[in-house]
This record gives sequence, C-alpha cells and structure tokens, in this order.
Amino acid sequence: MGAPHRTHLPPNVSRGGGAFALAAECTVAAAESLKTGLAKLLNHSSIVTLDISAVQRIDTAGLQVIATFIRERESHGRKVQWRGAAPAVSTATELLGLSAVLKLPTPATQAVETTP
Amino acid sequence: MTVDLTQFHDAFFEESFEALDSMEAALLKLDIGAPEPELINTIFRVAHSIKGGSATFGFSDIASFTHSLETLLDELRSGGMQVAPVISELLLKSVDVMRDMLRSTQAKQPLDMQRMAGLQFDLECAIAQKNSTPAPAVIAAPAPAITAPTGHTLGTLAAARWEITFRPYRELFARGNDPLRMMRELAELGDLTVHVDTSALPSFAELNAQECYLAWKLDLSGNVPEDAIKQVFEWAEGDCDLELRLKGVAPADTATAMAAATPTASAGAGALAGPTPVVSTSDAAIADAILSGKPPIAEETRHEAPTPAVAAIAPALTAVKEPKSDAPISAVGDSGSIRVSVEKIDELMNTVGELVITQAMLSQLGAALEGPNAEKLRAGLAQLERNTRELQESVMRVRMLPISFVFSRFPRMVRDLAQRLGKQIDLKLTGEQTELDKTVLEKIGDPLVHLVRNSIDHGIELPETRAAAGKPAAGTVHLDACHRGGNIAVEVSDDGNGLDVDRILAKARSRGHVGPNDVLTDEQIHELIFLPGFSTADKATDLSGRGVGMDVVRRNVQELGGKIELRSERGRGSSFIITLPLTLAIVDGQSVAVGNETYIIPLISIVESMRLKETSISRLSGHDEVFSFRGDYLPIIRLHELFGVEPRTRALHEGLVVIAEGDGRRVGLFVDDLLGQQQVVIKSLEVNYGRVEGVSGATILGDGSVALILDVTGIIHAVSMRAAA
Repeated sequence: MGAPHRTHLPPNVSRGGGAFALAAECTVAAAESLKTGLAKLLNHSSIVTLDISAVQRIDTAGLQVIATFIRERESHGRKVQWRGAAPAVSTATELLGLSAVLKLPTPATQAVETTP
Repeated sequence: MTVDLTQFHDAFFEESFEALDSMEAALLKLDIGAPEPELINTIFRVAHSIKGGSATFGFSDIASFTHSLETLLDELRSGGMQVAPVISELLLKSVDVMRDMLRSTQAKQPLDMQRMAGLQFDLECAIAQKNSTPAPAVIAAPAPAITAPTGHTLGTLAAARWEITFRPYRELFARGNDPLRMMRELAELGDLTVHVDTSALPSFAELNAQECYLAWKLDLSGNVPEDAIKQVFEWAEGDCDLELRLKGVAPADTATAMAAATPTASAGAGALAGPTPVVSTSDAAIADAILSGKPPIAEETRHEAPTPAVAAIAPALTAVKEPKSDAPISAVGDSGSIRVSVEKIDELMNTVGELVITQAMLSQLGAALEGPNAEKLRAGLAQLERNTRELQESVMRVRMLPISFVFSRFPRMVRDLAQRLGKQIDLKLTGEQTELDKTVLEKIGDPLVHLVRNSIDHGIELPETRAAAGKPAAGTVHLDACHRGGNIAVEVSDDGNGLDVDRILAKARSRGHVGPNDVLTDEQIHELIFLPGFSTADKATDLSGRGVGMDVVRRNVQELGGKIELRSERGRGSSFIITLPLTLAIVDGQSVAVGNETYIIPLISIVESMRLKETSISRLSGHDEVFSFRGDYLPIIRLHELFGVEPRTRALHEGLVVIAEGDGRRVGLFVDDLLGQQQVVIKSLEVNYGRVEGVSGATILGDGSVALILDVTGIIHAVSMRAAA
C-alpha cells in the first residue's frame, strides 16, 4: 500500500501550444513526471509559458528540473516565460540561488506579463 | 560494490527509538496555539531522519508513512498550519504507530497495516484540509539574502561570517534530504547569501530527476555558532561534501558593505569563488579579538600557519554570541558520544573488580611488612588504592544513565490516563539528571509505572471531589530522584486522598490477614497493601487488576537491593519512597564475624547494632527467642545456626545483634563480632554456583577468602517459612 492519492490536486498539464501548467506538488516524488511533461516542450519552436499559479509545494528536485529545462532552451536561443505567481516557487528560487537561471518576474513586471 | 546495509539496522532502530522518545517529549511540551519553533523543528527532524533511514534501508511502508507525517510537520513549521489540539493528538498517535512499525520491522513481524493506513489517511486529510482553505502566504520569506546587519553586533564588531561549501552527492534526494530545507534553516540563523553552482547539470535528456546535480557556496553572517550550522546539515552527513570556514569578523560598516553588494548569482562554476585564502591562525586571533574586544586583524595579513581546526574557535565564538532571535537557538550540540556495547563495559567492570581485590590483598600484605623499603611500598600501595578506587568509580560512571530515561515515559502516560479517568493531573518531574546504573534503571521502570498508575487511579480524586475538599481541581503527581548517601531515592508522591486505613483494615480483617481484635498502628496498616493479592479497589478498573500488585513492586525493588517505604496522610496524599543502590556491582556492607567465617550485611538493611542484656531476652514456647527493642519484640536469628558454623559463643549477651530490616519486618541477627564497614565487589553466586536462599552474592576479601553477602529479606522469609512449617 502507499499514500492515499490526492485526487484534488491537478496533475501537470500541457495546455497545448507552448503552455504548461505545473502541478500543485513539484517535489522529488513528482519530479520525474514533471520532467516527462516538460520534455515535450523542450524543442518547441516558439515561446514556452510555464504556469506556476497552482504550485503549492516545490523542492530542490523540482526546481532543478525546471532550471535544466530553461537553461537548455536558452542555450538554443529559445525563450521561456512565466504565468501566475506562487510564493513557494519564488521563495525556493531565491533560497537556492537560482533566481538568475529562472528569471522569475518581480511582482512589478509580473502584472504585465501575466496579462494575456 | 554493494554494501550490506543490514549491519546498520540495529543502530538505525536504536537511534530511531531514542529519536521517537524525544519527539514524544517535544510533542507533550508543545504549546497549543503558540508553539515554540525549536520544538517543532525537533519533531520535524525526528520524522525526517526516520524517513531518510527507513527509505535507505528499504522499509518503504515506514518511509511512506513518515513522509506524510513530515509533510504535515513541514506545514506546521512554515506556519501554513496551526498546532490545534486535534493535530497534536494526531502527531502523538503517529509516534505510537511509528514505534510499533519500527518494533515490528525490527522483530521481522508483519506491520499493522490497517492502523497505519488509517492514521496516514488522517494525516493526509489534515494536510488536504489546510490546502483547501487559502492559507496566508507566510512562507517565512527569508530576506532575499540581504538584510541590514542585525543589531546583534559585538560592540563595533559585526558578526562573524561563515563560508559554507555544500556539495551534495547525487543520491541526496533519495535519502530524503532537500537542500531547500537546509537553506531555509540557514536563512533563519543569519544573513544568508547563496551562490549556486550549476556546472554539473547535465543536458535535459540526461537529467535523472531524482538525483542532485547542484552545489552551493553560501555566506552566512550573523553570530551563528558552528554547531547550529552543523545541525542544519546533520541529516545530510555522509551524503554530501561540506566545508565550513570562518571568514573572520569584519567591522560593522564592512559587513554592511558586504551585505549591500548584490550577489551576482550567475550560473556556472564561475559563480563559485576561487579557492579561499586559508583562514590560518587568524581564526584564533579573531576569536581572541572578539573576546578581548580589540579590533580584529585582517585575515589576509596572516596566512602562513596551517589551518587549525575551525571547531577550536567555535566555542569561543559561542561564548560571546547572543542568539539572533529571542527564541533561544537551543544548540543541543552533539556532546560527542560513542556507542559501546554493554558487554564490553561489564567486562571492564569485572576486570576492575578483580583489580580492587588484588589491590586489597597487596595492601594487607604490605601492612605486615617490615624492612627498609616497607614504608615506600606502603606509600606506593596507598597510591594504588587511590587510583584503583578512582578507576572503579569512573568505570561505574560509564554505566550510569540519568533517570530521565525512565521519567520520560510518564508525561505521555499521565496525560492519557488522566484523560481516560476524567481527572486533571499535573505531573511534576524533578531530579531527572540523577544518574544510576543502567541495570537498575531498566528494572525500576515497571515498579515506577505501577506506583504512578496507582497514584492516578486511587490517589488523585476527581476534580469535583477535590474542589469540594477545598483542593485545586488539578491534582499533582510528583516524581523526584536524588542521591541520598550512597543510594538513590526515588519518590512518587501525590496530593490525593491518601490511603484509606479503615477500608484497608476492614479488607484485611475480612481476608483473615488481621485478627478481628488486633489493634494496628497506621504504619502497620500501610504495610498491609504490600501483601500479595491485596487490593481495596471495589471494582477492577483496567488500571488495577493487572496482576501486578504492590507485593510485586516491593519484590522488584528488593531484587535490586533496595527498599520501599510508604508515607500517607488521609486527605493530604501519599508518597512512596524507593531507595536503591547506585549500582548492582558493589555494595556498602558491614562485615561481621561468625566463628571463622565472615559475612557481609548490606548497610541498607541495617537499622543498628547492639549488645543484648540478658534481661531483654525472652524465650517463647519451643526455642524461639525474642528481645525487646524500643517497645517491640524482635525475633533473634542465630546466623551460626542458619549457616551451620561453629560460633565463638552461643551466649546471646556475649555476642552482638545486628538489627536488620527486610520486607517491612525487623529481626535481630546474632553474630560474634562486627569487623568493619567496606565496599565490596559483588560476585554473583547464581552465575558461579547456584542460588542460595538468604544469600544475595559473594565477594572476595582482602586476604583472598570468600565472604557471603546476606540477603536479609531472604533470611527473614526462610526463617518465617521454617517457623510456620
């Protein structure tokens, strides 16, 4: 037996095109599925939008997947942008020193970018 | 290479059980509503370590359960959830379940999956409930690495700065560790600047999401003791390379400047500073500077000598540091201990015992020597005696543990019992640091549990009854331990109703223990509760009637060479005082002579010794002899008859009687002479020969002869059996 499944939490969802919504749980247990989800967008030709508004928990493993994704896309000149805000993500990014890699919007710029 | 992990199982279980004990203790101290952060941290760390360990050893069910628990605790820790009574209850139950799971796993028994799954579901529900209500986003947003220097500077000196290099191994995540958690903890300790090293990150395709490729260089300023940092990384030990360097103490303005410089956290190895200049002797110099209040010396000016251990300076820093926040960082520093098997210590103890005997033999020989070098020899022997005694005491201390090991189980027990019986009870523990021998400690637990349970069940009244009697609604059960002479006294007292002497007497009369017309003093009536099978409980609750009576308690205590006394006052409460020897390895004894034999009577059993006058002796029918002692008539037991030895005298007034006490009864032991008091090393008769009634062991005297150590209770028992027969 294992932990009861938490059905109330949405899974990682690819929203078609270049949009990807991260799940509420982006921790080590979900890191592999996060990676699988992002892999489909790795070579997406236009801008990829990562929607973090649902994220409630994230850990180093989760952020590492995202950081690797962004770094690899940027090395090929492909952009990633953010949608939504999640305190868990911004705090974790800062604490792990990954701000420069993830380039999360500051609250001021965020309003502009999240406007569709 | 594969490592056989089973060899670490024992250590894991042992540590986990200890950790659970401390988790339970912390939970009980947890203040609902306003919990101490350090307590939650302690609880969290326990769950975290058990999770990590069980995952490593492949105990996946335990790991899964502790994961849920850890998630809940993490919410509590981050303030995302409040410590409500229901949560506290849930956590206590989790401790029980984890303990059971560990026990079953250790015994290779199947786990109680149903119970575990039920509780895990409850835990998950509690977490889910929190998630469904929008919680305030208070993830203790640690200042983006940079805050103004705190006010806790040392005069003009700002805080010391730690440079931490943290390179996790790939498997860090798999061991249940999350660097994010460590960063969060570090940020709570002081001002943290983080530089990440992403150079080891593979391509996205090659990335194993379960492995850690990142490394960090951290700057932590603030008055942070080394221990506090090490504690943060405690659970990652062995799963990472960790380097701590003290980068010295900068004047306040420099610290500000340092802090104001925005960290350019560019990716790649470039972000990691080059090799740090060796912090050489300046470490010590800085510590000196802090202590003396003189300005520090710039570290660059002196880096010639090899680096002394950074640890050496840490205590100095700790000495002048004040905690960052008001909540004291309880630096429960690792006191630096090692685990040694009990057998090894017993072996050592035995050897030291032999050494004591050899030394005593040499001293006796030396005392009789004459000649030019005799004086020197005696001086040397005196020194040998001193050293031997110190060695013996040191070895005995190794076996000593604080009684808190036993006391720690009571807060939980009292809480549960009080809840079940609808009573309000304050448990007071004092003298928890009193140390006693591990063997004694292990055997005293059950009697104490029985006494505490009795106090709660029979002693403390219901709140209404107490209020009616003008007492505070909450009763107090007090456990106290202290050293008294060469013994340890453990007292269990309560402010309850005291013993109901009338009811005890009525019960004893109805059972024929006491004749219908006998008049008994209160003390004698109190003694009745130690009779086998004696109970005044009108109906058996699930607390009483467990087949363990006060007689068993007394027997257990006596087996440890101790005694139990009772004081009780109607309406005011009662108290049980257990007096125990500090150790089972040696005993303070009075040596007595009977004919050519020497016997040792433990001092704890002796009331006094006296020479009898012929007038005070009476002979009863048959040839039972008694003598009057303070208004009482005590039976005389002639040791020479008991052991079949030819005495020097058979006339009672020519020898001495030692008045000894056991099982609540007093007797006079008739001996030829008293020889002296001494500490003797106990050699077990049972191990070396066989059990002998009335003898608790033997010892080897200075002249090499063997003396038996008397078991007074056993003797009284044997004699009364014989008389009854």
